[in-house]
Amino acid sequence: MPDSPLLDLDRVRIRHDGASRATPDGVTLSIAAGEVVLVLGPSGCGKSTLALALDGLIPHAVPAELHGSVRIAGLDSRDHGVGALSEHVAMVFQDPDAQVVTGTLLDEVAFGPENQLVPVADVLVRAERALKLVGLWERRDENPDRLSGGGRQRLAIACALAMAAPVLVLDEPTANLDPAGIDEVYAVLRELASERDHAIVLIEHNLDAAVDIVDRVVVLDADGHLVIDGPARHVLRERAADLLELGVWLPVSTLAAMRLRDAGIAIDPLPLTPAELATALDAHAALPAPRSAIQVGTPAGDPAIRVRGLSVRRGGRRGPIVVHDVDLDVAAGEFVAIIGTNGAGKTSLLQAIGGVIPPPAGAVDVLGLDPARADARTLSRRIGFVFQNPEHQFVAHSVFGELELGLRVHGVPEADRTEAALRMLRRFGLEHLREQHPFLLSGGQKRRLSVGTALIAGAPVLALDEPTFGQDRERAAELLDMLRELNDEGTTVLVITHDLQLVADYATRVVVMQDGRILGTGPTADVLAGPLIDEAGLRHPPLARATRGLLNHPDWHGVSRMSQLPPVPEASA
Amino acid sequence: MTAPTARKVAPTGPVPAPPPTQPDPFAEQHPARGILFLHALNPLAKLAGPLPFMIALVFTRGFAIPIAFIVLVMALLLIGARLPARGALALVVGTPIAVLVLGVTFGVWVDPSRIDEASAAASVVLMQIGEWQFTLAAYLVGLATSLRLAALLMLSLVAGLTSTGPEFVRAMVQNLRVPYRIGYTALAALRFVPRFGHELEVIRAAHRVRGTDTRRGPVAAVRRGIGYAIPLLASAIRHAERVALAMDARAFGAHATRTERTLSPWRVRDTVFVAAFWAIGVGVYWWALGSGLG
Repeated sequence: MPDSPLLDLDRVRIRHDGASRATPDGVTLSIAAGEVVLVLGPSGCGKSTLALALDGLIPHAVPAELHGSVRIAGLDSRDHGVGALSEHVAMVFQDPDAQVVTGTLLDEVAFGPENQLVPVADVLVRAERALKLVGLWERRDENPDRLSGGGRQRLAIACALAMAAPVLVLDEPTANLDPAGIDEVYAVLRELASERDHAIVLIEHNLDAAVDIVDRVVVLDADGHLVIDGPARHVLRERAADLLELGVWLPVSTLAAMRLRDAGIAIDPLPLTPAELATALDAHAALPAPRSAIQVGTPAGDPAIRVRGLSVRRGGRRGPIVVHDVDLDVAAGEFVAIIGTNGAGKTSLLQAIGGVIPPPAGAVDVLGLDPARADARTLSRRIGFVFQNPEHQFVAHSVFGELELGLRVHGVPEADRTEAALRMLRRFGLEHLREQHPFLLSGGQKRRLSVGTALIAGAPVLALDEPTFGQDRERAAELLDMLRELNDEGTTVLVITHDLQLVADYATRVVVMQDGRILGTGPTADVLAGPLIDEAGLRHPPLARATRGLLNHPDWHGVSRMSQLPPVPEASA
Repeated sequence: MTAPTARKVAPTGPVPAPPPTQPDPFAEQHPARGILFLHALNPLAKLAGPLPFMIALVFTRGFAIPIAFIVLVMALLLIGARLPARGALALVVGTPIAVLVLGVTFGVWVDPSRIDEASAAASVVLMQIGEWQFTLAAYLVGLATSLRLAALLMLSLVAGLTSTGPEFVRAMVQNLRVPYRIGYTALAALRFVPRFGHELEVIRAAHRVRGTDTRRGPVAAVRRGIGYAIPLLASAIRHAERVALAMDARAFGAHATRTERTLSPWRVRDTVFVAAFWAIGVGVYWWALGSGLG
């Protein structure tokens, strides 16, 4: 396109106040009208920081040092305020809750143009157009609180569109959403991308959702240097190995194809979507048989949790029943994932098991203890509960104190406490941070500490409520790897998560919930291959989507986890 | 922006809206029809009318003036405000009951030395526990206090029941020239309240589950409170920062003024309302003080 670039970055280095190094570091980039650009990079490489610089929030609103220059429609971002630049660049942020200012959808969309002093008639025209584009015009008089997460994020997109800026920057717009919300948001983004009215800069780690709407990929490495910049399909296919090396997550279908290549199955070019992977597999007349779905090394032990006729009411005696008459058995050593759409009752079930909300007496049994009758201290030796936000659980002023306190309440002598706490610090790689305040840890460290505190009293059962929410795939996988290690060491794990590929790759058994009832339960592979996922209104994980429809390879239909792919032939022996 | 065609792309299945369990402080009012004139007034008029008498009531003794205000304002609300049937019933029946009951509570705490021992009411004992007597005189003093409180509350309902948060902010910004940056920031902050309430609940549950603090008593409660405050503050600050960034990105504060889509005019009827309210209120004081009832 011959147009002058809408965004022109020249050797941009940004150092946050108090940070020791600059990320991003030396990014030169220009973006023209109509381009859809995906920015990739490992956690901490400065992607979000870069986004904040694209509309002048850095340096004007965020304390950070900007070197180099950012020119927005020819204007140097240093010389023009965020208000002036907002006519050229509109932003959508990650947290849908933190973008709502007013009381109705219409006021919300009008808020930006009103601040820009746009005349009333034009404000209304813009608001109507934007709300209609995201499919929320009929609900314009409602309070944004009444929308689902996906709905609120669509509203945020409408608000950005109403700014009438030619560039749209979206910083991880789906990280806080469930799969249904992700689909809603991408339906809107796909439409916007195909209209070519806007240049779109998308920061996203969920490549499975984003890959088919972007046409250019920009990659930063861990130090914040720009290392790859090129057409999306070319970069993802030809540089896949480099991207993995950099710590960038790839689409599941691409990862699966790379494993298949290693296993000697020729796949070229690399597929980016489940459909492409399916086509590539069907192109082969014969494939080696997939590995059996049954996981080795997960013997079902004695029963650890027994739930009988459990019903849970929320919000007092008059509140709605959110869990209906549930029966569930979990054996010691299992790794159980509870899945279901929003409002299916997953959290309430898990909280009743963990004693966070009191279950009716006699309905739940955790290793011989009834959470309805036991006090929190006794219960914490049987089951550790990990909340979505690790910060919520911290009570001490140092990492070490946090672990030690969990033992002190049980009357463990001091020498033993110190030893056990140190062992736990080593176990979770936190020993160099023992005197650090828990709130000053990084996101991943906080999460590890919260798991450590849940386990320190010796609980053989660990319950986690959406521990992967709002995290990128890398962190989510890191956490699940840790849970698998704990599980291998004998800890029984119950986890709620929306990410079905993680469920497929880690859980031994899946519990599917809908409308407060358990729709079904079974070994992971059986559930993912069966009809329960569709019945519960969920979407199959990417790998299962690719293998379910294979025409030439019926024996592959049950393949949903990476570990089921044919093994890499051993070079030696 | 070239015009994107207006077409629906996002799935618009039946999205279950949560039941309106609590009043929505942001909900716009529907235009008031007919006699519900209070909704059609400027919120500032509804505040300016009662305000002088709210102050005066604090210094008022006796029954007549509070009762007069309660009755008059109740009539005003029943005629001029849109009240759900249950709300109207609560107002008419609930107010006298609350006044009578609260009168006992206040009466119990009345300083006995302030009661005229010679009066007839002082000799009427309503209740006796051992040495302690609850006399009619004490009850009457308590009743006067609860009547004043009820009158104050009733006067505040004139504006409170008939205008919304956004209406107030608009009136402050447009009629009182309060900087819009302050007004709309306050409005955004209003959204924080239920959010923090929910967050506090989660934090309390998270701390309880750890089983680290089972001590009882006020000291332990304060200690626990501080324990809740740290994560709550951390998340509040982070949330506020994010909201501020999102507002900045949408040109909030870029110009000295902003487009006002809804005007909040001060009309003749607002002046008439305030003048009439003052006239009647002064009349009540005139009559009561003149006839020795105040």
